[in-house]
Amino acid sequence: MLHMLDLIRAGQATAADLEQLEQLCVMVKETSLCGLGQSAPNPVLSTMKYFRQEYETLLADRGRTGETMDG
Amino acid sequence: MAARTFTIDGQLISAREGETILQAARDHGIFIPTLCHLDGVSDVGACRLCLVEIEGSRMLRPACVTPVVEEMVVRTDTVRLREYRRMIIELLFAERNHICAVCVANGHCELQDLAVAVGMDHVRFDYAFPHCDVDISHPLFGVDHNRCVLCTRCVRVCDEVEGVHTWDVAGRGADARVITDMRQPWGESRSCTSCGKCVLACPTGTIFRRGATVGEMERDRNKIAYIVAARDQRW
Repeated sequence: MLHMLDLIRAGQATAADLEQLEQLCVMVKETSLCGLGQSAPNPVLSTMKYFRQEYETLLADRGRTGETMDG
Repeated sequence: MAARTFTIDGQLISAREGETILQAARDHGIFIPTLCHLDGVSDVGACRLCLVEIEGSRMLRPACVTPVVEEMVVRTDTVRLREYRRMIIELLFAERNHICAVCVANGHCELQDLAVAVGMDHVRFDYAFPHCDVDISHPLFGVDHNRCVLCTRCVRVCDEVEGVHTWDVAGRGADARVITDMRQPWGESRSCTSCGKCVLACPTGTIFRRGATVGEMERDRNKIAYIVAARDQRW
């Protein structure tokens, strides 16, 4: 997860990576045995929910996936 | 013993009281994938592959440690569960250096079989390529941490069946390793009885009998010349 976030931060991630990160977070959250695993993905999931635009502006392929933000 | 009746995937099933969902499902020929379960030793519910959906429960439950309850409704094969299982297997592959082509367990590997069963055609996650040691200090056996999935079967079989507890787990997260005694080389372990139960328990090629690796398959071609010479002498 951290590795994937680092890729996004470095601007090397694609929209597919973002989707995969979200899937991974949900999977870890739902399949975990302990409370740590069940709650650790929450920061990623909530930032994705409320600040999705910020993730999307960092994507490497945003030009190709219908970028509208900057016109 | 009291009987319990419940439903798995729409099929009405009766099980003994105290039986787990996994046992009941297996008795009725319903396949639930699992990696850390081993008949004869206790269950830990660690691999998360046997997770099932139970109606009325928000959480997914591991079938190997969940006892059956009267009239519970269990689903073992939903789209969500299939996707999670595949992701779990992929993460296991990404976490260590699983190179089937050079593995002693190739073709006899539970991880490999499960990857086929869940339909894993490739790994979507980046491989971690961790540095893992290989310990062949024991005269009979070897342990290759590159192939370990940390199912802890060896730990449980050593503790519960042999009663020795040579094996244990050290470290956390990505640094977790199965270790012998106080993390000394296996060959220097004072408690190990060399019973080989861990080799039997290992689902992958992590713990193996020495002599089984490709590098150790020495071909003594002099034997052919010897046989030919022996034949020539006699006739």
